[in-house]
Amino acid sequence: MTRHILVVEDDRSLSETVCLMLTAQGYRVTACYNGLSALEAFKKLSPDLILLDIQIPEPNGIEVCREIRQTSGVPIVMVTAKSESEDVIAGLNVGADDYVSKPFNQSELLARIAARLRDKPEGAAASGTLTIGPLTLDVEGHEVRRGTERLSLTPLEFNLLLTLASQPSKVFSREDLLEKVWGYHYKADTRLVNVHVQRLRSKIEDDPEDPQIVTTIRGIGYRAGSPAADQA
Amino acid sequence: MRRLFRWGFGIFRRSLQLRYVAITIVLSGIALIAVGGFLSYSIGSGLYTTRQQQILGESERAVIDVQNTFSASGAADEVSLQTLMNSVVPDLESNISNSNRRVALLRSPGQSGAISLQSPISSSLDPAVIPDDLRTAVRASTGHLVYRPISLPVDGQEHPGMVVGAQVQVPVAGAYELYLVYDLQSEQTTLDFVQGTLVFGGLVLIPLIGAVSLFVTGRIVRPVKVAAAVSEELADGNLTRRLPQTGEDVISSLARSFNRMAESMQTQIDELSRLSEMQQRFVSDVSHELRTPMTTIKLAGELIFNSRETMDPTAKRSAELLQNQIERFESLLGDLLEMSRYDAGAVNAEFDVQDLNGVVGMAIAGVEPLAQTRETEVQIEIPSGPVEVEMDSRRIDRVVRNLLANAIEHGEGKPIVVRVAQNNSSVAVSVTDSGVGMTEEQLEHVFDRFWRADPSRKRTSGGTGLGLAISLEDAHLHGGWLEVSSKSGEGTTFRLTLPKRRGIMVALSPLALGEPDWPRGVQR
Repeated sequence: MTRHILVVEDDRSLSETVCLMLTAQGYRVTACYNGLSALEAFKKLSPDLILLDIQIPEPNGIEVCREIRQTSGVPIVMVTAKSESEDVIAGLNVGADDYVSKPFNQSELLARIAARLRDKPEGAAASGTLTIGPLTLDVEGHEVRRGTERLSLTPLEFNLLLTLASQPSKVFSREDLLEKVWGYHYKADTRLVNVHVQRLRSKIEDDPEDPQIVTTIRGIGYRAGSPAADQA
Repeated sequence: MRRLFRWGFGIFRRSLQLRYVAITIVLSGIALIAVGGFLSYSIGSGLYTTRQQQILGESERAVIDVQNTFSASGAADEVSLQTLMNSVVPDLESNISNSNRRVALLRSPGQSGAISLQSPISSSLDPAVIPDDLRTAVRASTGHLVYRPISLPVDGQEHPGMVVGAQVQVPVAGAYELYLVYDLQSEQTTLDFVQGTLVFGGLVLIPLIGAVSLFVTGRIVRPVKVAAAVSEELADGNLTRRLPQTGEDVISSLARSFNRMAESMQTQIDELSRLSEMQQRFVSDVSHELRTPMTTIKLAGELIFNSRETMDPTAKRSAELLQNQIERFESLLGDLLEMSRYDAGAVNAEFDVQDLNGVVGMAIAGVEPLAQTRETEVQIEIPSGPVEVEMDSRRIDRVVRNLLANAIEHGEGKPIVVRVAQNNSSVAVSVTDSGVGMTEEQLEHVFDRFWRADPSRKRTSGGTGLGLAISLEDAHLHGGWLEVSSKSGEGTTFRLTLPKRRGIMVALSPLALGEPDWPRGVQR
């Protein structure tokens, strides 16, 4: 099945080059040059992934991302020229899954896209259902339920929860999670993990300030289940 | 005691005001002593001279009276003569106004004839006070008065006194000497009183002068103190501070000049920082603007490079060259961006406690291909245990890689030694090559941006010229040092020293910096 990627980039040359490259890799590509046409194209085409430059005109990438996240968990990879600035945090906070900073090269971009289009994280349970606290994960159906209520997680959030739930006793460092969930095999930006754990908690925890399902182990990382449940 | 002295001396040395007050007191004290001494001397001698004139006048009259009394008496027998002589002394004792005088009528020795007359002497007078040399002088004199100051014992006290002597011819009996002894105690009392008053006045005047000079110097020193405080604030960067300027005197003119100076300094500094900010923003903007086209070029270059096998040889070689230079261009852009981040103070570091040995090992592995092409051996001297340090390992890896790449490039194929060591508070990595080394002039510039040891030198590792400048910033970001030591023809050592935990001050590096006789670079 050919995956469809929406490329939102106002620089025509870069947009064309990226499209050429992705097409050569066998993706189907649609290019948009501003925020408005990106939103329209998203509604009409339902792409499998969006490559979204933050600095695009009307509305900017942050607004586009927030708008799309209202209705969809489609993987969004941001493109930023200022990796050190607040842009990255702002983008992650409105739901972008990952980012690449300019100037990136072909393999970097392809790795990010491939990781986001992959069905399951590395080393996670392949099938069946998992229980973690009050939650039930249907691995094949990509569904999380609390009792009978179905929670709406993005694929990334689902993968994050699935990775933690697959080995409930294990404490995952941020680097572990970056490797398994995001597909980074070298030291990367741990802000990705921090922001997405926060977003995940706000959806699954009763009180995100006092998490019981995804708990922080200070100085090490995260794990599924509260320390109290572990001792019982 | 000594400490107290040193403390006092310290205050004296520090306080301008105290020093000037002390100088004023000492100088005016000397002047007071001189003036007081002169006054006391001239009053004393004035008193003495006046009294002396008076004494001599009285004595002269007394001597004439006595002589006349004897000459006119016509007494011829010893009894009447004795009576006459005995009446002379009380007459002379009482016959004056202001002070009592004592009288002695002594017979000159060495005369012929046995006269058994008694010499009449005032009861309160001991004839021994009349000096012998005065008596000799009196006998030698003919008619005129001879006098001498003496010390006169009265009631067990020594009073200043004066004795006046003259010859008197007594009928029948022959030559007698009349001595009149005056007590000058009242003059001495007057003089003592005057001197006492002078000393008292001086003692009152000196503290008064001290107080006045304290007040006056205080008035003068205060604006200087204010100026010093304001200068201090200006030096601390509070460029808007000014001196209060009121009036027309020299202090206000100082304040005005000072304020004008501060004004012009502030303008200059503002201008400079504005220019520097503009320049930094320019570099940052340019770098960011370059990133989008750079991405396009990179991706397009890769597309071309990846399909080079299908091209004719010219195009293929061109594609390879293009790819090479794009990579070089990219690392230059990356370094420029990093430098501009440091310039803008917008560096995000991720500190973690990690093993330095591991980071150094990774860096050595990273430069292995370069070392192999230059046939350079990298020797390692590291401690067996872990060397834990809180650091941004990505940056430290970059620093060590950069030092290694430089060492390999300038090491002329001779072995390179990498050392790691630690002490209580800090850790260090040093990279030493035995290559061309640097001159002292080159050492000064080694951390300068875009500076190259030898511009004509063939560059093989493709450094950007910003590597060491960024490494230095990386070291400073950790609160550490990056130092260099080198001798031309012998080799170069770079040493990175880091505190084990953030915030610790590095006092001593655990590793030596090159050979002892190698000159060291100065960081500016």
